[in-house]
Amino acid sequence: MNESFESDVPKLTARVKAGGCAAKLGSAELQSILARVPVIQSPQLIAGIEGFEDAAVYKISDDLAIVETIDFFPPLVDDPFLFGQIAAANALSDVYAMGAKPILALNVLCFPTCDYPMSVLEEILKGGASKVEESGASLAGGHSIQTTDPVYGLAVTGLVHPDKVLTNSGARAGDVLVLTKKIGSGVSLLGLKGEELQPSSQIELFESLTALNDKACSIALGYHVNGMTDITGFGLAGHLLEMARSSKLVVELDIDRVPFFPQAAELAGQGFVPAGTYGNRQSFSEFITYIKDVNLELQDLIFDPQTSGGLLMALSDRDAEHLLRELDAAGIVAASIGRMLEPESEAGHLFVV
Amino acid sequence: MSDEIDLRGLVCPEPVLRTKKLIDDESLKQITVLVETEINVKNLERLAHSKNIDLTSSKEGEHFKVILRRPERLVQDSDSDGEGRIAAASRERAGGVAESVGTVVFLGKNTFGEGDPDFSSSLLNVFLQTIYDSGHRPRAILMANSGVKLLARDSNVRPVLRQFEEAGCDVFACGLCVEFYGLKEDVPTEKITNMFSIVEFMMTADKVISP
Repeated sequence: MNESFESDVPKLTARVKAGGCAAKLGSAELQSILARVPVIQSPQLIAGIEGFEDAAVYKISDDLAIVETIDFFPPLVDDPFLFGQIAAANALSDVYAMGAKPILALNVLCFPTCDYPMSVLEEILKGGASKVEESGASLAGGHSIQTTDPVYGLAVTGLVHPDKVLTNSGARAGDVLVLTKKIGSGVSLLGLKGEELQPSSQIELFESLTALNDKACSIALGYHVNGMTDITGFGLAGHLLEMARSSKLVVELDIDRVPFFPQAAELAGQGFVPAGTYGNRQSFSEFITYIKDVNLELQDLIFDPQTSGGLLMALSDRDAEHLLRELDAAGIVAASIGRMLEPESEAGHLFVV
Repeated sequence: MSDEIDLRGLVCPEPVLRTKKLIDDESLKQITVLVETEINVKNLERLAHSKNIDLTSSKEGEHFKVILRRPERLVQDSDSDGEGRIAAASRERAGGVAESVGTVVFLGKNTFGEGDPDFSSSLLNVFLQTIYDSGHRPRAILMANSGVKLLARDSNVRPVLRQFEEAGCDVFACGLCVEFYGLKEDVPTEKITNMFSIVEFMMTADKVISP
């Protein structure tokens, strides 16, 4: 294992309290602060901060808009190349979540040069570059500083037709929700850190974390997708609720259909639950009604912050069926996990069935 | 034999891993660990629940003290009064409460003792909140007769019951009682149970507390 590093070089994740998207600030906490910071609007800014969007969209002309996003976090794995890949796949995902295509990326790097050899830095950047290359975007340097703890991510620019931006707010009543990628990466990563994650589970986890959402996005764009987002720091429940709120609807989540990573439920049941999961539970529980008995492990998993998560798409029943078939044929893990409904009383609620 | 371990300052999942190792040592009947955050405590609650270990926690200044206790099996198969056979039989049933030992709180009415109704009901709230705050985590909280009213939508006890649930306790109401008091709309179906399961919980508990 990593014992070969030994001596003075600490593991990349050694001092990290919350790696990946688990490091995200709490939703409630963040929103109350952001409410006091001015938002500088312009008519060209067609998607910004208010709809809980994944990225900002700026309209340049009638047929062109740029999508801008930035994402970075502390290491969640000890292998620096793998960390770079995951961070890049995660940053690029926000562009795909808007239905856009990434064109340009810049590195953001904080690195403790005293604690780690420069080869570690090189591997992180190479890992990131490999994913940017795969996405077809350009990578043009970036910015790095010396800090006490490592952090890596990217700022990414994408292009989209302004009328074809896919946001959280477009979902319609009756839409079926299609999710790509499995849920439970936060819990699995904590299990990995505790050396409780089996090799086969590790392989599946890493494949998912490093997978770009590019193919899923381009397949989805062939259908009439009404709303789309990616599942990241607020967990499945948080992102479902954001979609419900923005679309002024309620969500029905069929928990038995949600694909979970192997061992994730078992690990959650044994207490491998990241702090961010508890934070999400606290932020979102009051908007959730469990129609049926959902054990604590599965509840934890729907609150689990996801790093480099999949796409969540809302589209009509018939389209969803075809989309699922096409995703499956492309070898992408996908499932129909619920639907959007007209609220009986208040919008922005999640019913777990 | 008891053992006390200081796990403060350790980053997740270290406290869980170290405690798990201690639990796996069957010779330790009781383990006391010190942890730094409430999240550590909640993760230990999950661990204890998965291993059928009783857990008590308390805040002590800036940290938390967590006591894990291996439950004694009070009902032995050799008991002469027949309870042993029931317990043994219940252990064989799959997926149920068969292995549930520990403390069960039984709320057979919506008050704490007898007296002025409003006062007695607020006392009950204080009672449950105190159990929660003092770190005791009963295996299950069962409600029957007018006790099921505690799950009504406007009940002031609902929030604390939810806290228990989130800490891994089973919270159940008698279905017959829910129907009798016309609370079907208020009580989610997953909280409804029957007399059979109430009996199983009680018969396999270390002790049953009923205020």
